[in-house]
Amino acid sequence: MKDLKHLIYFEDLLQEANNKLVQQAKSEGKYAIGYTCFFMPEVLLDLPGCFSVRLRAPRCTSPDIATYYMSARVCHYGRSLFERALEGGYNFLDAQMATETCTVTCRFQEHLQRMDVIKNPNFFCEFIDVPFKKTENSYVHYREQLRFHVLGKLHEKLGVDVSDEALMAAIEQQNEVSRLINEIGDYRKLDNPTITGYEFAVIQLVSLTCPKYLILPYLRETAEELKTREPDAKPDFRCKVVLAGSENDDPDFTKLIESCGARVVCDRYCYGAVESRQIIHVAEGQDPLDAIARHYLDASNCPRFMPQDVMRGRKKELARLVKEYKADGLIVASNKFCEYWSYERVIDTIVMKRDFDIPVCSIEKEYINAASGQLRTRFQAFVESVEIKKIQEGK
Amino acid sequence: MKKCKCKLGKLLLKLLGGLLVANVALFLVFFFDLDGKLLFYVGEPMLKKHYDNMPRKDTLKAPYDVDKYPSYEY
Amino acid sequence: MAKKIKNKEELKKLAKDFWYGKPHGERHLGELYIEKTGLYKHREWRGVSDTMYYFYNVWLYNYAMMVYDLIRYGGLGVFLKGVWRYRWVGQTYLTVMHWFDRGMEGMRGEVLRAAPWHYRGMVSETIRQFQHMFAADANLHGGKHNDAWHHTMAHNETVWGGIFYPWRDKFENVAMEMIPYFVTCHVNSHTVQNYIDAVQSIGLPGDPCPMCQAEAGLFVLDDMPDYSPFVITSNEACDASVSTSILQDWFLDKPLFAMPQPMQFDDPLVHKHCMNEIEECWKFIEEQTGVPFNWEMLKKHLEQQNELQEFEHEKWEVSAKTNSYPINGVAQALYRIYYSQDGDHEIWHHCDKKVRKVLERCVRNKTNTFPNTRHRVIAWSCAPLFFSNWPTWAYNCWGLNVIINMDSLMFDMTIRTDSYEHALEDMATYHMWAPMRRMAVGGMHHIFELWENMEKFNCDFVMMYDQLQCKGMQGVHGLFEDEFRDRNIHAIWMPHALPDSRTVTRAEIRRIVNDYMTTVMHEEPLDPSLLDFDDSMGW
Repeated sequence: MKDLKHLIYFEDLLQEANNKLVQQAKSEGKYAIGYTCFFMPEVLLDLPGCFSVRLRAPRCTSPDIATYYMSARVCHYGRSLFERALEGGYNFLDAQMATETCTVTCRFQEHLQRMDVIKNPNFFCEFIDVPFKKTENSYVHYREQLRFHVLGKLHEKLGVDVSDEALMAAIEQQNEVSRLINEIGDYRKLDNPTITGYEFAVIQLVSLTCPKYLILPYLRETAEELKTREPDAKPDFRCKVVLAGSENDDPDFTKLIESCGARVVCDRYCYGAVESRQIIHVAEGQDPLDAIARHYLDASNCPRFMPQDVMRGRKKELARLVKEYKADGLIVASNKFCEYWSYERVIDTIVMKRDFDIPVCSIEKEYINAASGQLRTRFQAFVESVEIKKIQEGK
Repeated sequence: MKKCKCKLGKLLLKLLGGLLVANVALFLVFFFDLDGKLLFYVGEPMLKKHYDNMPRKDTLKAPYDVDKYPSYEY
Repeated sequence: MAKKIKNKEELKKLAKDFWYGKPHGERHLGELYIEKTGLYKHREWRGVSDTMYYFYNVWLYNYAMMVYDLIRYGGLGVFLKGVWRYRWVGQTYLTVMHWFDRGMEGMRGEVLRAAPWHYRGMVSETIRQFQHMFAADANLHGGKHNDAWHHTMAHNETVWGGIFYPWRDKFENVAMEMIPYFVTCHVNSHTVQNYIDAVQSIGLPGDPCPMCQAEAGLFVLDDMPDYSPFVITSNEACDASVSTSILQDWFLDKPLFAMPQPMQFDDPLVHKHCMNEIEECWKFIEEQTGVPFNWEMLKKHLEQQNELQEFEHEKWEVSAKTNSYPINGVAQALYRIYYSQDGDHEIWHHCDKKVRKVLERCVRNKTNTFPNTRHRVIAWSCAPLFFSNWPTWAYNCWGLNVIINMDSLMFDMTIRTDSYEHALEDMATYHMWAPMRRMAVGGMHHIFELWENMEKFNCDFVMMYDQLQCKGMQGVHGLFEDEFRDRNIHAIWMPHALPDSRTVTRAEIRRIVNDYMTTVMHEEPLDPSLLDFDDSMGW
């Protein structure tokens, strides 16, 4: 396929958290608000006057000082973020909006609170409590958490406009990003997709890590470009897969899978688009914050949700995605030391294959997959097994 | 009457003697950790063998009905 | 002539040792062990009075009481069926007197008269629970759901027993994992390894919290009784606990209510949410059982639980301010976490009454209960379950006297009962603070409550548990290092993997303590025979 016009630019933006667009927004007087988890609604951090940056630590392979503080026995992602913070990589941040939604990212953010890591005298870090259910009690609790700890603090400390009008504007901006990302992502549903999983991962990531108002023109242009993009006459993949799992902000991981012959057509993982790019609907007369709170709990399929029907429903949702994206299999990848996904991966591996007849490749990975030889072997074997299954089924 | 008293006395003596023997025996079990040794060398290996060999349900075959339970919200 | 005098002196010494027991430095407790097994060549001679007390009032009494408990809580038939069916009871609980021995090694006088009561309480409550499980267990009754099955509520071990007080007069509540997993690790550390291996055999990696692994492994190995129509679970205390519910739900396949507690418990805004969760749980129970919530029953048991807490405060007062506290480190830690999590039961009051007598006597007589104390130790974070008796070893070997531990302090609150609202509010706090929570989540500053407790309990030494698979604690490792250095505090990091004695062995733990005491503290052991011995196959 013909190269996407902005792909190299996008890749460049992903080399640093403090990328060119972040720097531009900062120079325009905007406040940079960091976050790590989906449950910190980015839309609230994109209110007029500030912009959200979902933190990453690209190319961090050896988090030595963070390992002193957090030991080598916790998730590499959390440690890498902290290492990057210690290196000064997040000094551009004006605030960190934190969640205690998984232990290690929580600890990372607590270190930001406790130690003088971010060299910005006005920097602050605020936590919210995120419920484990999708009930009325949880919606109300979550909404009030967002009202007090996010809107309240943004207004109090940075003077951000948190009125309903401002919220509606932020929702509109976010929805436009989501519409564009979905439009771009929908090309993965084609029999012969006109976008690769890697390209899409890069585009999705820039939408999470760059100021929305600055990345939007590029997204619009890319969406336009894709309308006429021709696929290769002979597909360069042997099967299509859904990639599900834990935290993953490394497009090279997707690239690795694709280099083994599997086209990644759907990204149901932290930093993926399946959940973060759903449209936020505000009903007539509804409090926009209430709509946001409900949206973020309802949209998520995170394994931290505990109600029995939700735990079980996640499997059905995963099967639905495989069908919707016309995938032949499922790769479930969890970061080493991620407890949520260690368990979820076990049951997905068994139940998705047994009850939904979906081939599953179960992978434990590192945050940065420097040693990819083993993974490559696993993926190649999986692709072969999926091909054999297809042949047996006469497809 | 005298005979009866004598019988009772003998019985009591026997009982006391029995208690004493039991006491000494139990103390020996206690002091030389014979209860521990019996369990360690005989009891546990025997039971372990039993548990290792007993037929068990293949729990991975347990059904996982995704629509079986409602939302418990009150 | 000189030889005769020497012999006479030796004889006098022998007689004295026989009558009073050897002084601490001459006991050579390590020489009593049979290589590798942890068994004793013979049990310790503690002098006539203490040996006889231990023989009659601890060993014999507890064996007899165990039989009595088995009979009164369901009978020997049910017990034997359970033993034959479930590994965790057969392989573990028959060895329970050795658990007493390990905890009470070297103890004398008033400690020997108080601490075993804590063990007695735990044993009795354990028997009550597993006997009830067996009585209700469909697996042991040909798949039939009997009356006991219909009148039992199952819950995760991190759901506080107090949640079920309102139904105490009609229903039993039994935690699913407390007896099959948690208590077993202390008594016989072999059993749990089967469950950890079982869950890893279906694909779970080795790094998640081994406690949660074992909890899930019980189900994988089909070693969980089916004793209740429904289940209540919780997110206490960590990510892996949440995830364990996923596997448990699959294998249980019965109505399950999740009662998660907020993580950020300092935030006043979370309170209402937490109270609502508890109320929803109660509605679920009402719906499942058809029996309404009983406020009077709740109030009664909360008040009784408060009595336990009140005595705990008295105990802490003595342990903090005097040298007359007659409870050793292991008994303090296990008893406290057990009853606080389990909730109010008659046996705790019975044992507290017995301990109170000893405690008051010690204070009255100003008895120095641990006369060879060199350091007053506070133990922080989660303890190694397979070596929960390490404080006994550390006292005997090094004079390290564990005064208090983190788990004891988590549940530190009295619950108001003057109104439903107050009770609910405090119950919410209790639940958010309690199971492995208060210091571990909700802001890392809570874990640093160590310093104030160190001062409060007059401690000069920290035993810092280093649970290798606890992400929360590993995630603050460096900050603790910094603080220890800045505050010039002596602290030993004790690595372990909670129930799994294979990751870090007891011998390795002892070596780490020995190394610190010799190379950093430059101290000589009180009993060198305990420095190094092989108990690798021991329970």
